[in-house]
Amino acid sequence: MQSNAALEYDYSVAKLFTYTTILFGFLGMLIGTLIASQLAFPELNYMLGEYGTFSRLRPIHTNTVIFGFTLSGVFATFYYVGQRVLKVSMAESKFLMTIGKIHFWLYLVGALAATISLLLGYSQSKEYAQYEWPLDIVIVIIWILWGISMFGLIGIRREKTLYISMWYYIATFLGIATLYLFNNMAVPTYFLTDGLGNFMHSVSMYSGTNDALVQWWYGHNAVAFGFTVPIVAMVYYFLPKESGQAIYSYKLSLLSFWGLMFVYLWAGSHHLLYSTVPDWMQTMGSVFSIVLILPSWGSAINMLLTMKGEWNQLTENPLIKFMVLASTFYMLSTLEGPIQAIKSVNAIAHFTDWIPGHVHDGVLGWVVFMIMAGLFHMAPRMFKREIYSKSLLETQFWLQTTAVVLYFTSMWIAGITQGMMWRAVDEYGNLMYSFIDTVAVLHPYYAIRALSGVLYLTGFLMFAYNMIKTMTASRELTQEPQFKSPMA
Amino acid sequence: MDIRELQGYANFFMTIFLVVLLYGYIIHLYRSEKKGESDYEKFGNIALDDNIDSKPIVPNPKTLKENEEENK
Amino acid sequence: MFHWLEKNPFFFSVGVFVIISFAGLIEILPNFTEASRPVIGLKPYTVLELAGKEVYKKDACIACHSQLIRPFKSETDRYGQVSLSGEYAYDRPFLWGSKRTGPDLHRVGNYRTTDWHENHMWDPKSVVPQSIMPAYKHMFTNIADIETAYAEAVTVKKVFHTPYGDEFKGTREAWEAHKPTVLAEAKEVVKNMKNKDVKDAVANGEIPEIVALIAYMNRLK
Repeated sequence: MQSNAALEYDYSVAKLFTYTTILFGFLGMLIGTLIASQLAFPELNYMLGEYGTFSRLRPIHTNTVIFGFTLSGVFATFYYVGQRVLKVSMAESKFLMTIGKIHFWLYLVGALAATISLLLGYSQSKEYAQYEWPLDIVIVIIWILWGISMFGLIGIRREKTLYISMWYYIATFLGIATLYLFNNMAVPTYFLTDGLGNFMHSVSMYSGTNDALVQWWYGHNAVAFGFTVPIVAMVYYFLPKESGQAIYSYKLSLLSFWGLMFVYLWAGSHHLLYSTVPDWMQTMGSVFSIVLILPSWGSAINMLLTMKGEWNQLTENPLIKFMVLASTFYMLSTLEGPIQAIKSVNAIAHFTDWIPGHVHDGVLGWVVFMIMAGLFHMAPRMFKREIYSKSLLETQFWLQTTAVVLYFTSMWIAGITQGMMWRAVDEYGNLMYSFIDTVAVLHPYYAIRALSGVLYLTGFLMFAYNMIKTMTASRELTQEPQFKSPMA
Repeated sequence: MDIRELQGYANFFMTIFLVVLLYGYIIHLYRSEKKGESDYEKFGNIALDDNIDSKPIVPNPKTLKENEEENK
Repeated sequence: MFHWLEKNPFFFSVGVFVIISFAGLIEILPNFTEASRPVIGLKPYTVLELAGKEVYKKDACIACHSQLIRPFKSETDRYGQVSLSGEYAYDRPFLWGSKRTGPDLHRVGNYRTTDWHENHMWDPKSVVPQSIMPAYKHMFTNIADIETAYAEAVTVKKVFHTPYGDEFKGTREAWEAHKPTVLAEAKEVVKNMKNKDVKDAVANGEIPEIVALIAYMNRLK
């Protein structure tokens, strides 16, 4: 046992990914705020010439937030939580340490190259799968490296049972791997034509309706395995640990896991209601989307009940506040999604701003809140300093909560208004509004959304400032805190 | 039988099969706990007591051996 | 019976993998045989149209425009006949989109002209005063990459047997031989345009992005 006494968890890779989470979070939200403002004030399109239009920037916003911010957050928390629940340190294996480092640096280079490629207009034009084939290959390598890290750690673990968070991380790994590979199947044109044309260009293996099916099977589930599964992994670790309360029902967490795995994948075709996809598949998408409420709420209720008898912590500890609000938004958006997937609702909601509204109450309220809370929990343990400012944390919480509420309420109204106007007919059955009428009416809502973007971004800057100060200037800790994170 | 029909049957029976499996799992979880064979709730403590030198809930025999060798 | 799940990462992973692949296998694969059949009379995109499609992808028009007319009277009144699966047979990738910040474009070729597009892309507000679409003036100077478009045509012919003529071969000579056809098509489009720089460029054998894009827009019917 002597040898173990000096052994400590090694957070060097977790720290690196923490930095990129902050960096890409800022970039992604900055661009998001800019493009939201462009819809309200189109003059803002002309700041960067060809590279500053809404259409060129929008894929960069989505990809930076998904593959930059969220993935960094997933990796950062994995390299932290993974070691702790398996009770094994990365310092114990030189091999895993090296893999972890390569994983990070390749990720950083890949992410920057990918962003530049989108700015230059290299795009497959499939949503959330825009990157062209050379970048896809880099992404696959990054993913394999993560797999080696994960299963390597599992291989040398001391704790035989895999904690539920590990289940979710493993599912994230497998899910994204399968989906990404199949959706990005493409033939590079350069090699089949003796070097004609652009090296980067490729053509999708699937065409038309098939491509749509594969794309939304991917698109929907990339949300599942990028924005839901790993975030659930985080909440199952950070909420119990921060509050000192074990999960309310471990059995329920296991059941929700299998339920989620089984049901989620069916729901993808709800993106294609009333399209040329076969009818039974659309119905399937609708039905399973509604069944999906069960496992999602299973997890969410489990999280909230974890706080049973300890609700006073909600007022005392802002991190608990972040996580409880995140779980609540998770419940909200997993209820909202199935509602939108009901065929008659979808007829109005599809193609309108209600959809970005839905995405953002999930992402801003659930994903970003949970990742920020996770990083705040990790910071005192990784950097051995207390959190720099509690009051800043509180201010940030209320600012960002207001922003999320402004965002989704304005987009709900905008979406339903537009959806109704598109189909409105007069007494003779003629369309009442030309398309541009339905655009002009949205201006106030777009302005509110731009404002909410500014508020949220300000909150994120507070988070970044608080984190950086925690890393560098905060009071040092002599002992690792057991549960509640210390803050000044 | 065309592919559509096959698809329908495959879907139907696989769904039934997986639902049965899921319910089997639920029953298994609760029954084995009732009989005292296993205690799932204790796994929740993995997150709470997660220092590197704290005692694993279920020690991994492989790494346990290594540790013993090191200590010899 | 289920005990090994919690402790055996290998079987656990296999289990997860089987469960998540299940939906994809049942839902997507069998449909492949049918859904890719083209409607009768559908012609593959010309090289110029493909180059225009590339411009459409490059500037992510898909971020605001859909190409899918749903089976509602309000949509068919506004945009034209309902979209059919077979009409997309040569669309790689599909460009249905998911958001209509601007109107649907699946049959835009039926009711908008070259002239209208030229004015609109140069300054959207000149034709639709309340428009929030940005102007795409850079398309009037950027040169379209028709060589890559040709390479795409040859690739889909080789790999997916898209019915392009025998003259489509993956060699530089074949490309040089096909180039005049593309230029001739571009000249047809430019006839109805008035921008002097664009006209000059085409006369000099170069095709600005706007010409390719308009050729693609006009093809959407």
